[in-house]
Amino acid sequence: MSHLKTENLSYVYGEGTPFKITALDNVNIDLEKGELVAIIGHTGSGKSTLVQHLNGLLKPTEGKIFLDDENIWESKSKVYDTRFRVGLCFQYPEYQLFESTVYKDIAFGPTNMGLNEKEIDERVRSAAKYVGIPDGMLAKSPFDLSGGEKRRVAIAGVISMEPEVLILDEPTSGLDPRGREQILGLIKNYREKTGKTVIIVSHSMDDVARFATKVIVMNDSRVENSGTVDEIFENSSRLSEIGLSVPQITEIFIRLKKMGYPVSEKVYTVEQGHSELMRLFAERGIV
Amino acid sequence: MIKDITIGQYFPMNSPIHRLDPRTKLLFATVYIVMTFVSNNFVGLLFCFITACIVIAVSKIPVKTVLKGLRPILLIVIITSLLQIAYVKTGIVLVDVWRIKITSGGILMAVFMTVRIALLIVMSTMLTYTTSPTSLTNGLDRIFAPLKKIGIDFHTVTMIMTIALRFIPTLIEEVDKIMNAQKSRGANFDNGNIIKRAKALIPLFIPLLFNSIRRAYELANAMTCRCYNGGKGKTTMNALKMKKGDYFAVIISAAFVAGVILLNIYCGEYNAEFTFNAAV
Ligand SMILES: Nc1ncnc2c1ncn2[C@@H]1O[C@H](COP(=O)(O)OP(=O)(O)O)[C@@H](O)[C@H]1O
Ligand SMILES: [Mg+2]
Repeated sequence: MSHLKTENLSYVYGEGTPFKITALDNVNIDLEKGELVAIIGHTGSGKSTLVQHLNGLLKPTEGKIFLDDENIWESKSKVYDTRFRVGLCFQYPEYQLFESTVYKDIAFGPTNMGLNEKEIDERVRSAAKYVGIPDGMLAKSPFDLSGGEKRRVAIAGVISMEPEVLILDEPTSGLDPRGREQILGLIKNYREKTGKTVIIVSHSMDDVARFATKVIVMNDSRVENSGTVDEIFENSSRLSEIGLSVPQITEIFIRLKKMGYPVSEKVYTVEQGHSELMRLFAERGIV
Repeated sequence: MIKDITIGQYFPMNSPIHRLDPRTKLLFATVYIVMTFVSNNFVGLLFCFITACIVIAVSKIPVKTVLKGLRPILLIVIITSLLQIAYVKTGIVLVDVWRIKITSGGILMAVFMTVRIALLIVMSTMLTYTTSPTSLTNGLDRIFAPLKKIGIDFHTVTMIMTIALRFIPTLIEEVDKIMNAQKSRGANFDNGNIIKRAKALIPLFIPLLFNSIRRAYELANAMTCRCYNGGKGKTTMNALKMKKGDYFAVIISAAFVAGVILLNIYCGEYNAEFTFNAAV
């Protein structure tokens, strides 16, 4: 059964003005429960616009969105409900913190859901644990934290609503390698523990190759392709045509192959690369 | 909604008016606004109206876009008209029911004032539509530069204006983004009573304020790094220079002033039915 689905979704910014832009053009996606979906595409290809439709922030110019086979725009209350069931964390979410303490900021979503104090407390603490915010930090002002910490607080603010689908728009942009690893680790951990659907918009092919169970490629407001990591990265020349690339490790193996080494090009993570090299070494009696 | 505000907006086009020196445009806009007030009869106002139409046509800006700028002043126009109708009691009595007495003079005066306000707004909107903010402040900077001799440093004022104008679109975009982010966490900006709505704005304004202050620091640093010292001895890369078209526009401005004054003298007397004293 499909969990989250769009049907002929189109969206135009500034309809009826000279500045109108078609940001989405007949987009059809269909996601199963528990998948970790990566959306990739060059800047301006419509990724952010797409994810803002999935939780009912933008109303489609044309087409429909279904959550558990129900049209989310059926009624006003359903749209509002969808905001809690599909949690969206924007790009650079740390600039949207506003409360006096970290605790209160994480509690904003659950409070809007109308939960009682005890439930809110449970959710705030469990969300903080998922993102690795120690209890001692909860009483601090969010404005006193480091960039990476702020980002994790902001993500906790969405996780605390316990959405069935968690969407993160470029969650690692602007972070140092360690911050990135932390964020990716917590997302992976969250999905494994809760079994919920997670959608990540990402620019890093290396990250996508490591985590995604399904990849959606956007190009010029359309879905160019979708499938597993292997299916997507197989066609490296088409990806570079639309301004994307394959993971760095894949690049290396494509080059090795060109140089005449009998290696497979279907290497998408460092681990795969390691075992492929070991296989080659063993074949040649090097190790 | 927030994107509908057009006053102060720039509408890039390639037209002779866009290419004029900002000082010429400032001069013409000022002259035009003063003259619509000086004009005291319908023929003069018609002359101003036709002038505005020509300016709009030459600028290539769609009429619809120009009219959109009038929407925010609708309320002011309605109130002014009602006041005119209520106070002006000259001419033929048209309606006389209970305490309400409407005269032809009142109606004409209301129409007169409405057209006058509309023309005034249209021409100021045309100024900003055809002149980029940087070019506009550049023009102001040059016009008021002589004030330095009497100790007033107008450069600071124009720099503040430039920066403020530069950040309006950024702020609008940011309001949009933060609103969406808080809506994603269930914030509700559209429903509830006034207190509830005001409270709902806290999650919007605190990040907005915080980000603006942060941005101000960054900008100050960036400017300091590029040796900005408050405009002492500052020259401009694109120095303003009056061209042929500008002198032509200055002549047209003079002709416009003369036209309105002549129409005041001749039509103001003969056209008794349409004569109004601008001071009423
Ligand atoms: N608020 C907006 N108003 C007008 N145009 C927009 C807005 N947001 C995005 N766009 C335009 O829509 C297109 C898709 O943008 P976006 O969805 O942000 O792409 P991505 O996230 O893939 O970089 C771009 O051309 C962008 O300029
Ligand atoms: Mg984006």
